[in-house]
Amino acid sequence: MGKRWTNRIALGVLWMCGLTTVVVLGAVIVYVFIRGIGQITPEFIFTAPHGVNAEGGIGPTIVATIYVTGLAMLIVTPIAVLAAVYLAEYAVQGRLVNTIRFAADTLASVPSIVMGLFGFALFYEVMGLGFSVLSGALALSFLMLPIVMRATEEAIRAVPRFIRWGSYGLGASKWQTVSKIVLPSAMPRILTGLILAMGRAVGETAVVIFTMGQAIYTPISPLDPGRSMTVHLYTLAMEGINMDAAYGTALLLMVMILIFNVSARWLAARNRRLKG
Amino acid sequence: MATLVLALTLTGCSAGGERREVIVTGSTTLLPISEVSGEMYTESHDGISILVSGMGSSAGIESVTKGSSDIGTSSRELKDAELELGLEDTPVAYDAIAVIVHPDNPVRELSTFEVRSIFAGVITNWSEVGGPDLPIGLVNRDEASGTREAFSKIIMDDARFDRGAVVLPGTGQVRSVIADVEGAIGYISLGFVTDDVKAVAIDGVEPSEATVVSGDYPVQRVLHFFTKDDLSDIARDYIEYVLSPDVQDTIVRDAGFIPITAKEAIGG
Amino acid sequence: MAEPQQTGSGPVKSGLKMMSRATYMREALLKNLFLLCAIVAVAAVALIFVFTTARGWEVVKDPGLVAFLTGAEWSSTLGRFGILPLVVGTLAITLGSLVLGAPLAIGTAVFLSEIASPRMRSIVRPAVEMLAGVPSVVYGFFGLVILRPIAAELTGGMGFGTLTASVILAVMIVPTIATLTEDALGSVPPGIREASYAMGATTWQTIYKVLLPAAKIGIIDATILGMGRAIGETMAVVMVAGNAPQFFKGLGAPIATLTSQIVIDMSYATGTHKTALFGLAIILFLISMGLVALVRALSRLNEKKA
Repeated sequence: MGKRWTNRIALGVLWMCGLTTVVVLGAVIVYVFIRGIGQITPEFIFTAPHGVNAEGGIGPTIVATIYVTGLAMLIVTPIAVLAAVYLAEYAVQGRLVNTIRFAADTLASVPSIVMGLFGFALFYEVMGLGFSVLSGALALSFLMLPIVMRATEEAIRAVPRFIRWGSYGLGASKWQTVSKIVLPSAMPRILTGLILAMGRAVGETAVVIFTMGQAIYTPISPLDPGRSMTVHLYTLAMEGINMDAAYGTALLLMVMILIFNVSARWLAARNRRLKG
Repeated sequence: MATLVLALTLTGCSAGGERREVIVTGSTTLLPISEVSGEMYTESHDGISILVSGMGSSAGIESVTKGSSDIGTSSRELKDAELELGLEDTPVAYDAIAVIVHPDNPVRELSTFEVRSIFAGVITNWSEVGGPDLPIGLVNRDEASGTREAFSKIIMDDARFDRGAVVLPGTGQVRSVIADVEGAIGYISLGFVTDDVKAVAIDGVEPSEATVVSGDYPVQRVLHFFTKDDLSDIARDYIEYVLSPDVQDTIVRDAGFIPITAKEAIGG
Repeated sequence: MAEPQQTGSGPVKSGLKMMSRATYMREALLKNLFLLCAIVAVAAVALIFVFTTARGWEVVKDPGLVAFLTGAEWSSTLGRFGILPLVVGTLAITLGSLVLGAPLAIGTAVFLSEIASPRMRSIVRPAVEMLAGVPSVVYGFFGLVILRPIAAELTGGMGFGTLTASVILAVMIVPTIATLTEDALGSVPPGIREASYAMGATTWQTIYKVLLPAAKIGIIDATILGMGRAIGETMAVVMVAGNAPQFFKGLGAPIATLTSQIVIDMSYATGTHKTALFGLAIILFLISMGLVALVRALSRLNEKKA
């Protein structure tokens, strides 16, 4: 019964693979949760760190993270969506499209440290924006562009053809079709893509540390500096002075990203249900 | 495209108006002093904010020279090349660098020569300095660190650090690794020494405020605020504040440093 | 009556369509606007390349291209900027992470695609996605507080080095490789599986002899992209690798990579040193672009076969 035994063992190993993945995720989450949950008080969320041991809260970092992510999404979404519209609706297979796709893929694989250095060279040095939310947002938007482009393009392609035909059949122009029929129909999927991109942006460190800086400051104007939660976590972990706060920051960070992920999944599932 | 235009416009808009902030960058060692004093200053002075960040003494010096910050904090002296930059030096505290080992390590004191040999990778086992037969785990700081620079100048002289030493970019990391690994050795600011680790005596002298003030403990240094001539009034006021007893006796001591006024008090 | 011809969602050709000039102009304008937006991606890449190269170009003069690429010593205090130890470091942890992570990822993907019940799938797949969402600093943090002491026990050193870095990176690249492998397995036609089972093959035999070979290119693509992720990872590596720019001395010896060195040095680098760091960035950029090109070329090959 050689092949049956091999089968059993092999399947067992594969089961272990699947379980290992879940267990590892569980371990990371549980560990951060246990060590960090004690830190989560309204004071932690809303006040600023103060004192020699960085006691107090991480309020400014939360603001900085949300601010820079929001601004980045604002910058990137119109460009990415319209670019995807081009690729999905207007483009003809050919050199240009190939180049665009290659560029998008490359952009998606650029190591974030390179993006950070580039952002430093361009936004901080050359454009003189200094350490600011704006520098960070611009750098992040480079990173987000391919993600949103791809998600939007897939969303648009998923819209069934017959809907377009109906529209054209009624005499609508291309743009009318796209703007009034296709895009609204693709919207839930596009939103899912946006939310996932935001989750990615929130988790970035190397990019923001060289563009938004490290000052603990609640940014108000886009030209103010700030410290994102990821940078704060890195600093706390490296300084080692207040590990409790580090765990608290890590927990909040993961909760934020979890919320993004779960919302995206929920939206996608809801969309699937509605569309049948 | 439109975004870039928008960004440039915003940059132009902020150029006018009075500067109500002081930008302080530099040494991570000084962060407890600059952050806390900055915070307190901001609270007591409406409309003014002190923006503090720490990316290393070298970064601080470069940034104040270039004008991107008002005050460059540093835990090391200016290098020869930097002396020409026309920077004004305001010492704000004294600091001792403690050489730390694991609490269970029986070795209690080392000579300067032994410390140098250890960090140069020449001595690699604790048995060579009167300890157990245990390989030495070297922990070094990153090159941006003023602490490393000071340690290098005072202890290492011209000798080079062992290339195989672990490089950690943070005081707390050095401390927690040494607290964890029996054979490890490293150096941190005296102010950060806790019961998790043990500071060894150098050339027979234990590090403490007394031995720093008396000058007996060799591995000590001055913490600096570097500024340029065109310093704003607000920044000057802030520096005065940092030098006042309000800060020196409380924040500086809390951070584990020695007030700059301590030596003057003794007349030394 | 000429029907509007639609190929996919491409341009409409209709003999009967009448548009006012205004509409035509507007349509053309909009199309070009969208084209412009799409070209932004290309412009972005070009911008990154141009700026990074411009900033790092001097490396060719000082210390000189050969000295930079083949120098065996990276020491800013001595003014020597040879990247060889960093390259070795990057290779070591990339290899380590692939050895640990690729089998786990592919196994998980196979599990999800072929074996898991819908209920198991609804647990494991979100888990994989969420692993992808954990920020690298959190992984680094985890590696620092949990893995480092364990590695210290195992290797007798301080726990900073190739072992810890490889384990953490392996966990980080699993989602990348697993998701893409699952996609690749998903595009193998179901008929192939049925034919295999019909011939009496066990599940494992089907997977091993039929599915994996069929999805080979996709799996290779996935692994290459996972490799790219490992090469480009920075923050987690800085926290656990030890950051000593020396050649590989064992799993427990500290090591530095192309990425970690940039972060460690950047805050205080000036002059030649800073230029050298941008030189590192150029190399990383070229590597990642090369990997993307490789994956695209492989996929094209695959399509030609099919």
